[in-house]
Amino acid sequence: MSAMAEPASFRARVAAAVADPRLAEAIARTTGTARRKRAAAVASWADFASARALGRDIKDHVIAHLGHYLALFERNARASGAEVHWARTAQEACDITVRICRAAGARRVTRAKSMLGEEIGLPHALREAGIERIETDLAEHIIQLAGERPSHIVWPALHKTREQVAELFRARHHDAARGADVAALVASARRELRAGFFAAEVGISGANFLIADSGAVCTVTNEGNAELTTTPPRVHIVTAGIEKLVPSTAHAMTLLRLLVRSATGAEVTQYTTFHCGPKRAGDPDGPEAFHIVLVDNGRTRMLAEGLREMLRCLRCGACLNHCVVFRTIGGHAYGGTYPGPMGAVLTPALDGLAANRDLPQACTLNGQCQEVCPVAIPLPKLLRGWRDRSWREGLEPATLRRSLALWRFCVLRPRLYRLAAGGAVRLVRMFARNGWIRRMPFAGGWTRDRDFPAPPARTFLEQYHRSSSARGERR
Amino acid sequence: MTAREAIFGAIGAAGERAVADEAAIAAAAAGLLARCAPTRPAQGAGTAREIFLRRLRSPALGASVAAVGRAAEVPDAVRRHLAAAGLAPVVALQPHPALRALDWSGFDVRPAIAIDETAAVGWAHGGIAETGSLVFRSGPDSPTLFAFLPLHHIVVVPARRIRPWLEDYATLEAGEAWPRNLTLVTGPSGTTDIEGRLVRGAHGPAHLHVLVLDEGG
Ligand code: SF4
Repeated sequence: MSAMAEPASFRARVAAAVADPRLAEAIARTTGTARRKRAAAVASWADFASARALGRDIKDHVIAHLGHYLALFERNARASGAEVHWARTAQEACDITVRICRAAGARRVTRAKSMLGEEIGLPHALREAGIERIETDLAEHIIQLAGERPSHIVWPALHKTREQVAELFRARHHDAARGADVAALVASARRELRAGFFAAEVGISGANFLIADSGAVCTVTNEGNAELTTTPPRVHIVTAGIEKLVPSTAHAMTLLRLLVRSATGAEVTQYTTFHCGPKRAGDPDGPEAFHIVLVDNGRTRMLAEGLREMLRCLRCGACLNHCVVFRTIGGHAYGGTYPGPMGAVLTPALDGLAANRDLPQACTLNGQCQEVCPVAIPLPKLLRGWRDRSWREGLEPATLRRSLALWRFCVLRPRLYRLAAGGAVRLVRMFARNGWIRRMPFAGGWTRDRDFPAPPARTFLEQYHRSSSARGERR
Repeated sequence: MTAREAIFGAIGAAGERAVADEAAIAAAAAGLLARCAPTRPAQGAGTAREIFLRRLRSPALGASVAAVGRAAEVPDAVRRHLAAAGLAPVVALQPHPALRALDWSGFDVRPAIAIDETAAVGWAHGGIAETGSLVFRSGPDSPTLFAFLPLHHIVVVPARRIRPWLEDYATLEAGEAWPRNLTLVTGPSGTTDIEGRLVRGAHGPAHLHVLVLDEGG
């Protein structure tokens, strides 16, 4: 998908990311602002904790009765004039979407940012089908021009500095801004995209909520691009994960308060729209046909395999902004559609554990993500679950398994363990200079990036015995 | 097996009872809704109208607001606002009967909205004090695009239709059906997509001016 080939392994992608000082700067700029604003929003909400528990319970209620709510949503959406489609897999979802586009005679589609669309590979499927795609969200527009993947679920172009965006716009926009003033860059994109909204036969959006009791689809944006994407074209297609359901519009409001404060620190998005069916008789604008593609793509498997809690996710991005690992390596290093803590849980579920076993390991388990999650998803617990499973399925490398087996052998034999530990401490100290170890055989992975404090001359047990016998003499 | 059957089958296999007790589910959903009110963020003192005005004046929202006593004063308020912004009295007028009934002489009034319209005058279905949001229900007298295409959007909202909470426009009133679009507009359009910095006027209006109309309420 990327214009520049990405390294195949997680480690190589991480190495490339940490070596890029511009990336570090870009991540720090956006996530720093996001953390500050979220903290202020939460601090000024006295009952945030009970709202969060309520948000969690609303999502759990829907997930516990997913079949009921899906059937209800389908019935009400059909009654409003929508056509409802079902897709088991990403491939099926793309096939349905492309078929609808073709039937509408679409040569060009506009698209309002949707992580599900990225997850199912819709940009790629549209290209294969020869359908021109105009991304209308500013960040998606930037990465479309750059030929890159999103690096954050709320700010897909977070990895780009304004200078890089300015360079890109100068090369690609018809009437580009001069300089790297952010306001001028936004104005340049506004000019560039305006005509595109009216040149598409089909508009494609995602869904933040699916409202079961009305059959409506809720989108939230700050730019206003969702409504401009879904109103002028003849056909509106929604692609949505089946976990997006809520019982009613009123239930959605509690989740909306949590979602927006956690994402950007605002009280509500500038534009919150409930799309219900196609254009009505007498409506001056709106699409003639409204399609909703409901996508499973691994979600029912997550239900069955102990990842039920992950289906609460509102895609707010707070866990990314607060994650020390995400803030160090950025989004692309994760390799999947979803980065950060939520991505490290989702990607093995969506793309398989074998190819992604590094992701749940790349975590300090400091618990920040769970603390800021507006629906209290126990992300560290779910990550540990993947680690456990990876071990049980024999996916951990042989060297790790052998060293752990050796360690276990020693630990179960205290005399041997003490002997080995005493020997190891003395051996390691031979590499110390002024109390620090800069280089040591077999420890390059650690010492390449940081020094290692030399251990004390004696092991804990040796010191313990010595001090207790000294006390014994005094007595 | 169709995809639909497969998905419902997988949900059933994951532990949901095949025949759900609809009444029990509805009761549980109502119970969740009943817990919502006490968790809402504090609004501070005042009537819904006062709180609404305060929200709209807060710099974070980036809008401007004025009160008008009578509907007949709206064209003058619009004229003054446009003049202050250095704009000619040219407006696209939302096809709402209450707006169309006013005297727009001296204005160049456009009946439809152009793709790069400079200014539009709209009429909101309601307002929400909690967030300073305007509520639009799409329909013959309220095209969706009126709230998105203009650079300057000037919106009249009747004071009596300002309600305290987001939930207050989340249910249907007697005789209402869901419109194609129910849209909450909160301040002018914005983006933080480049380095997290807020810039107004991303795709939608860069300027939002709200006229709270006290007549009739
Ligand atoms: S896991 Fe929680 S914090 Fe992370 S994106 Fe989802 S809802 Fe937000």
